[in-house]
Amino acid sequence: MNELIDILRLFEFQFFQNALLGGTIAGLACAWVGLFLILRKEAMIGDGIAHAAFGGIAVGLLLGINPILTALLVSILAVLGISYMRRRGLAQSDSAIAVMLAVGFSLGLIIISLAGGFNIELFSFLFGSILTIDQTDLIIVTILGISTIIVLGTFYKELLSITFDEEGARLMGIPVRPLSLAFNLLVAITIVLSIKIIGVILVVALLVLPGLSALQLNLSFKGTTFFAVVFGIVSMIMGIILSAIYNVATSGVIVFTAAGIFLIVAIYRKLE
Amino acid sequence: MQKINELGEIREKTPVLEVSNLYVKRANSVVVEDANFTINKGDYVGIVGPNGGGKTTLLLAILNIIPRTKGTIRLFGQEIESFTSWDKVAYVSQSAVNFDSHFPLSVKELVGLGRVNRSNLGRTLKRTDWETVDEVLDFMGILDIANRRIGQLSGGQKQRVFVAKALVRKPEIILLDEPIVGVDAKTQEKFYKKLSDLNLKKGITIMLVTHDLTAVFCRMSKVMCMNQWVNVAELTEGVNPEELLRKAYGEHFHFVFHNHECERTFEDE
Repeated sequence: MNELIDILRLFEFQFFQNALLGGTIAGLACAWVGLFLILRKEAMIGDGIAHAAFGGIAVGLLLGINPILTALLVSILAVLGISYMRRRGLAQSDSAIAVMLAVGFSLGLIIISLAGGFNIELFSFLFGSILTIDQTDLIIVTILGISTIIVLGTFYKELLSITFDEEGARLMGIPVRPLSLAFNLLVAITIVLSIKIIGVILVVALLVLPGLSALQLNLSFKGTTFFAVVFGIVSMIMGIILSAIYNVATSGVIVFTAAGIFLIVAIYRKLE
Repeated sequence: MQKINELGEIREKTPVLEVSNLYVKRANSVVVEDANFTINKGDYVGIVGPNGGGKTTLLLAILNIIPRTKGTIRLFGQEIESFTSWDKVAYVSQSAVNFDSHFPLSVKELVGLGRVNRSNLGRTLKRTDWETVDEVLDFMGILDIANRRIGQLSGGQKQRVFVAKALVRKPEIILLDEPIVGVDAKTQEKFYKKLSDLNLKKGITIMLVTHDLTAVFCRMSKVMCMNQWVNVAELTEGVNPEELLRKAYGEHFHFVFHNHECERTFEDE
C-alpha cells in the first residue's frame, strides 16, 4: 500500500510530469513516423540520423547553445546529405546512411576530445535522461512534436500513397520528391526531440518496435497506425514509471517495455 | 460477334490517343520503331505480341514515364509534354499486384488512394470520395471484401482491386499492362467481361496488354500487334488478323481461330 502511495506521489513532482508529457509526445511521434519508416524499408535511416545528431549535440555543448537545437541542425544536414548522395548516384540509400552516421558521430568524438569536460552531460544524450528534462526542453519537445504530428496528419494520404507505390504516386500527380524529403526531415525532427528522452543509441528501437508490434495484428492502415501509436505511448509511460520505481536506466526500461509488447503480441498471434 | 457490333455503335471517331512516327529506345536498342496509330474514344484495344516486343515500353512512353527518341504522342488532342489532365488517364502496371503482402492496407483504403491527386493535396478525402470508392467497389463486384487486407486476396481479386483503384479517378482512358498472378482461365474470363462492361456501359477507352488471344478476338474492338513495329487492325466481322499475328510472333506460329470459341467463352456467363 505504501509503495502505491509512493508511486502516486511521483506524479506530484514537476520533473515527473515533464517526463511523462515529453515521453508521450515523443512516443507518439516516434511510433507514427516509425511505421512509415518500416513500410518504406528505411528503418536504418533513423539510426543513421540519430548517430549523426550526436555530433550536433557536442557542437551545442561546446558553444553553450541548447544541444537539441544544434542536434536538429546537424540531423537536417545529414538528411539532406543522404538525399543528395542518393539523387546524385554517389551512393545507395544504405551506404549513404552509413556515411552520414559515421561522419556525424566522428564530429562528436573530435569535439569531445578537443573540449573535454562535458562527458557526463554527453553521456545523458547518448543514453537519454528523461527525468532531467527541464521546462525549456519540454517546450522545444512539444513544439517539435506537435509540428511533426500536424505535418504527418496533413500529408498522411500522400505519404501512404508514396510508401505503397512510389511510381504510381508520381503518375497520379503527387509531388513525390518534395514530400519524401519533407518526410525525412520529419524523421530528423522526431529523432532529435526523442534524444533527451531515450538517447542517441536507442532511439531507433522507439521508431521500430511499436510499428512492428502493430503490424503483427494484421489490421487496416488506420488500425495499424492506431495501435502503433498506443504501443509507443504505453512503452514510454510504463518505462518511465517502472524505471522510477526500481531506480534503473529509463531508456533501457522503455525499450524493454516496447520489446515486451512486441513479444506479447507475437505470442498472442501464435495462440490465436 | 454481337458485342463488337454494339461497340461499333458507341464508338465515336474522336481520337483519344494519336501516336505518330514514334521511336523509343531502351538500353540503347530500339524497342518501338516508327509506331503510327490512333485510338478513338470507346475503343477496346488488345495489345498482343511476343515478350520483349515493346508492349510495356509503349505504354510507359504514352504515359510520359520514359522518354522517346522521336515522334509525337497526343492525348486528347494535346502533346503529352504540355498535357496536364493526367486525371483522365489511368494505368495499372504489370507489377501492381506484386506488392508486399504484409502491407497493412484494407481493400477500401487501397482503392481510396486512387482518389489522391494534386488537387486534394494535404486534405482528407471527402465523403463524396468514399461514395465513389463504394460505387466502384460495387461495380467491380468486390464490395463484400472492402474491409479485407490486401495481402489476403486471391489473384483475381487483386486484379479487380487495382482496376478499381484506377477507376475511382474516373478516367476516360485506362491502360492495363495485364496484371496476372495465379489467375485461372475462368476468373480471367470474368475479368475481361468486367472490362467489357466498363467499356460498353461507361464508354471508357481501354488499352490492354494481354497474351489471351481468344479474349482479344471475342471482346475487343481493335487488336494492336507489336514486335518493335506496331500494327493496329479493326476487329470487325470477317476480319482475319492471323497474318498480323504471324508477323508479330514469327512465321512458325499457327493461330487456329474460330468464331465458335467466342460462343464457348460467352457460354458460362
